[in-house]
Amino acid sequence: MTPGGAATAAVGGIARAALAAFCVVACLSISIAAAEEAPPEPADYRLEAYRAPTPATLAGAKVLDTDAAAELWRAGTATFIDVLPRPPRPAGLPAGTVWRDPPHDSIPGAMWLPNVGFGALNADTEAYFRAGLDAASRGDVNAPLVIFCQRQCWMSWNAAKRALEDGYRNVAWFPEGTDGWSQAGLPLVPATPRP
Amino acid sequence: MMRRSPSRTAGRAGLVALALCAVLPGAGPALAQAPEAAQGAATEPNREAAAREATWASIRPDLFPGKAIADAGAIVQLDAPGRAEDAALVPITIQLALPAGDPRTLKAVTLVVDENPAPMAGRFTLAEGTRDFSLSLRVRVNSYSFVRAVAETSDGALLMTKAYVKAAGGCSAPATKDTADSIAHVGEMRFRSFAATGRPEAQVQIRHPNFSGLQIDPETRGYTPAWFVREVEVKQGEKLIFAMEGGISISEDPTFRFSYTPSSDQVSVRAEDTEGKVFTRTFPGGGS
Repeated sequence: MTPGGAATAAVGGIARAALAAFCVVACLSISIAAAEEAPPEPADYRLEAYRAPTPATLAGAKVLDTDAAAELWRAGTATFIDVLPRPPRPAGLPAGTVWRDPPHDSIPGAMWLPNVGFGALNADTEAYFRAGLDAASRGDVNAPLVIFCQRQCWMSWNAAKRALEDGYRNVAWFPEGTDGWSQAGLPLVPATPRP
Repeated sequence: MMRRSPSRTAGRAGLVALALCAVLPGAGPALAQAPEAAQGAATEPNREAAAREATWASIRPDLFPGKAIADAGAIVQLDAPGRAEDAALVPITIQLALPAGDPRTLKAVTLVVDENPAPMAGRFTLAEGTRDFSLSLRVRVNSYSFVRAVAETSDGALLMTKAYVKAAGGCSAPATKDTADSIAHVGEMRFRSFAATGRPEAQVQIRHPNFSGLQIDPETRGYTPAWFVREVEVKQGEKLIFAMEGGISISEDPTFRFSYTPSSDQVSVRAEDTEGKVFTRTFPGGGS
């Protein structure tokens, strides 16, 4: 009995193993590498490999560290927008399928708009993002918005850039997101996506 | 037959990177653990473990309502990689064996991937009178997760063994060139007996993209609709070998390696997908 039988049959060899090794190394080194070298701002949206060191800046936006974000949060003057992605339950699953949305804790009072931080959005998601921002800002393009997800996640960078391009003038990007927040001992509460 | 071409591997290089990210859902904890040494708090692993068991506590009543589940001991053995090479193709082997003198038989085994949004990967019904059975397959693992095999014996008892797998992004890993090939050949099957190599096992592969519904389609920028093999039945002559009720977690081109003793009886495979398409094939019992 070789437990690896199916695996051996399925997987082809060295290149693949090397790739896997590369991935593991890449993952492990994310947190170490990130602090050292922030990549330059790209001209356009990030379209892939969202989980990677982010730039130090976003043209047109303020960049908040955790202290600054916490100060704004305590003042209660800005709307916090969490863009952590989460796929919706697919249509057409067999009846009786047990489905469990992964739970997510976010900054108290934040509006969670999942999946709006991908580099390219379809029309539905684009409309969802716009409606969310409209509600968050109460239609005021000068309303302060703080956009975040997790540390080293380009989704928040993309979403903040997108808000700027949608005409919002007071956009802050909080790159440390819920990771920096919880590490600073600040509270997180269970979140549900905006419908 | 089990082509995993360089193109796929190369294709996946980018994909893995994307997948790592696309796993952000629920990745709060998953991320915390990725750089294991990074956030050095000694309490972190404990909190992790507690969170993982909390997942099980939340899904267990839905998966096994009103049932007690005992530790399987040696009756259920689960072989899974501690850290998966490819989260979309995580090899799992379940070996079931009742000890001599145990009067029971085995009715079914359910494979659960706790952290996948549809945690039940598959429920496998076994032939009447089964006392031992081995099954290997590949599954998607969406974030660091316990994987569990829960066997049901003829007296209705549930016996569980679990393993922890570090893998992320399996459910959302995008389609590859091979996926297009799977679609072109959807429903085609292969059967192979390993008897000649001295192993009482055989393998069935069903070509199917097995879309999880969590994969982003770069063309539409939306999620590719779920489309997967939901039922498989493998028989030797008139006798059932196993039947599967599967979910989104079974990898592309579902492939099952299982206990099998060749005979003159033909092996027939019937598969049905979520669109109601039915695929059937019959193979000579000695293999092809």
